[in-house]
Amino acid sequence: MFEELLDGIAQNSSFRHIHPGTKILLGLGSLLICLVSPTPVVPVLSGVVLSLVLLIPARVSPVVYGELLVAPAIFAVMSVVVLLFLLGGGEVIWQFNPVPWINLTITTGSLGQSILVLFRVFGCSVSMFFIVLTTPLTDLFNGMKRIGVPIELIDLMMIIYRYIFIMYAQAFEIWQAQVMRLGYRRPMEAIRSFSMLCGMLFISSWNAGEALVRAMDCRCYDGVFPSLDIPEPVQMRSLIPVLLYLAGLSGILLAMTAGGLK
Amino acid sequence: MNRKIILEARDVRYRYPGNREAIKGISFHMRRGEKIALVGPNGAGKSTLLQMFNGMIRPTSGTILFNNEPIQYDSSSLRQLRKKVGYVVQNPDRQIIAPTVYQDVAFGPANLRYDENAIREAVAFALRQVGLVGFERRAPHQLSGGEKKRVAIAGVLAMDPDVLVFDEPTSGLDPSGSEDLMELLDELNHDGKTVIISTHDVELAYPWADRAILLLDGRILEEDVPEVAFGNPDHVRRAHLSVPTLLDLSQELGRRGLAQPERKPRSVLDMVNIIENLLNRSGNKPRSGTITVCDVDTAKNVSLPAWLEARPGLAVGAMGTRAKQRATEERISLEFTYGVIDKCILQALLGHDSLIMTTGSMAGRVAVRVGAYCRESGNSISVVPMGADEQSAPAGTVDAESKEEELSRGNP
Repeated sequence: MFEELLDGIAQNSSFRHIHPGTKILLGLGSLLICLVSPTPVVPVLSGVVLSLVLLIPARVSPVVYGELLVAPAIFAVMSVVVLLFLLGGGEVIWQFNPVPWINLTITTGSLGQSILVLFRVFGCSVSMFFIVLTTPLTDLFNGMKRIGVPIELIDLMMIIYRYIFIMYAQAFEIWQAQVMRLGYRRPMEAIRSFSMLCGMLFISSWNAGEALVRAMDCRCYDGVFPSLDIPEPVQMRSLIPVLLYLAGLSGILLAMTAGGLK
Repeated sequence: MNRKIILEARDVRYRYPGNREAIKGISFHMRRGEKIALVGPNGAGKSTLLQMFNGMIRPTSGTILFNNEPIQYDSSSLRQLRKKVGYVVQNPDRQIIAPTVYQDVAFGPANLRYDENAIREAVAFALRQVGLVGFERRAPHQLSGGEKKRVAIAGVLAMDPDVLVFDEPTSGLDPSGSEDLMELLDELNHDGKTVIISTHDVELAYPWADRAILLLDGRILEEDVPEVAFGNPDHVRRAHLSVPTLLDLSQELGRRGLAQPERKPRSVLDMVNIIENLLNRSGNKPRSGTITVCDVDTAKNVSLPAWLEARPGLAVGAMGTRAKQRATEERISLEFTYGVIDKCILQALLGHDSLIMTTGSMAGRVAVRVGAYCRESGNSISVVPMGADEQSAPAGTVDAESKEEELSRGNP
C-alpha cells in the first residue's frame, strides 16, 4: 500500500523531529521559486539539492524515491511532447508533414519552453515530496490548526485519514476474493465485479460509520477531538540553513533573471 | 468475599427492531473486583448484554443497576456511566478513532474536559499500564493486532473506569498474544478493576474467571464458579462449547476411581498435585526449590543479567507489563509469561529454583498464592525477595507463609 508507505517513511524519517514549520517553509519556498523561475537552471538545482538532502541525511531509500518520481516523470514527459509541437516562436529545428494539412514543427522557442516546463515539474515535485517524506500528516493537521483552518474541517480530515487505511484494506480484500474467483477475466465481468466491490465497500463504510459513532459515544464524545500538539521546538540549526538555502536560490534566480540569462 | 455489588441486571429483556428477542429475561450481579466470563455460542446475546452495561443498548424491559442505582438514559448520566464502565469492542479498528495512539487514548479524557496536563497524565498512565510507552506518535495502521488491542484498552483505561467490559478480547490474537492479554486483564483486576469478558475460549476462561456465566439463546443456562459451570457436560454441549481439558481429564480419572470427583483442578499445578497424590509419592519428595521475587520497581539498580549469570539454569518468569518490559530491555529470556506463579511452583516441586520478575502491586500475590498452595498441599516452598538470599540464611529456610506478610506489606 503506497500511501501507507509514504506516511511510514515520514514517521521514520530522521527529519521527524525538526519543527514541521521549518520543513514546510523549505518545501513550499522552493516550490514557489521553481514555479516563478523563468530559467530551468533554478528548478534543476533545487530538485537535485532537495533530492540529495532526502537521500543522504533523511535516509529515504533510493529505490523508493526513484519509484515515486516515476509517476510525475511520466505525466511531465507526456505533456512536454504535446507542448513541443503546440508552442511556437524562434527558428524551426525539425519539421514533419505526414499529410499536407498536418504540420508538426519543433522550434527553438517551443523546445526552450518545454524544457522549462519539464524541469519545473521536476523541481516542484521534489519540493512536494520533501514535505510528504519528512512530515507526517498528523503534524500537518496541527500546523493547519495553528494557522486557523476551521477545527471541524481538521477533525473531519483526521477521521478520513484514519479510515482511508481501513477502507483501502477492505477494498483490497474484496478485490483479492474476486480475483481468486476469476472476477476480472473478461471486460464485462470486470465491470460487474468492480460495481459489486463498490457496493460492498459502500455498505461496509456505512457500517463503519455507525460503529464510529458508537465508539465515540462509548468514550463520552462531547465534541472534542484531541490533538497531539506537542510541538518540536524551532531549532536554529535547522531553520538557518533553510533560510540560507532559500535566500541563495532566490539570489541565483534574481541574478539570472536580471542578467537576462535563459 | 462479601464485596459490594457494582453492576446488576434485573430481569432484562431486549428485542431488536424486526422483533427478534435477543435477551429473554436475564438477572445477575457482579461484585466489585470480580472477574466474570460470559460464555456462549454466536447469537446467544453476549454482546447485546454487555452493551447494556454502559447504556449503549437500553433494555426493552427490566433494569440495569450500577452501584445499586438504576441507570438513567439522559446524555449526562450516560456520560458519567461510560466513564465508570469502560467498554472495549471486539475489533480494535472499530474502536480506534484517531490518527495517532496519543490522540486516541486522549479521546475520552479530552471529552470529559480534563485540562491539558491531566490529559497528558491520563494518557501516560494508560499507556504505561498496557506497556505501550513510546507509541504516542505511532499511527494505528502501523501496529500489530495485539498492539491495536492494547491501544483500545488504553483508550478506556485513560478514563479510569471501575468496570472493564471486554467483548471477545482474544479474538484475532495468536495464542501467545491471547495469554499476554489475559495476563493484562489479571493485572488490571489486581489493580482493583472489575472485569467482565465475553468469549468462546473455554480453555482461557476456565482458569481465569472467578465466575462463569453460560449464555444460550438469550437466557442464562448456568452461572457458577468455572469448575461447576463448565462441569455439566449437558449444559456445555447445549451451549456449543467444550469441557475444558483439565476438567475433562479429572472427570475421566474420577470415573475410573483414580481421583476424587469433587476435587476439580483449575490449573496444571492442581492436576499435577492430584496425580502425585494418586501415585502416592508424598514420601520421597525432592527438596523444594526456591522462588525468588524481584520487584522491578524497587530493584532498579540491580543488574539482573549479572545476577542470573551467577545462577545458571534458573528459570525466569515475568508477571505484569512493566516486568516484561524490563526483561526485554535487559535481554533476559523468559521461560514463563503466563500463569507464572503456578509454573514456578511446579519448578520448585521438581527441586529447581526460579525467579519471578514483577511489580510492586503484584509481588505480594506470589507469596499469597504459594502460601495458599503450601497450606493445601502440605508442601513447603520458600519465597524470597531478591537481595534477601545474599544477606540472610541460605534459600529454602524461609517459609512462604511467613514471607507473605512481609511482601504484602510493601504493597500500596
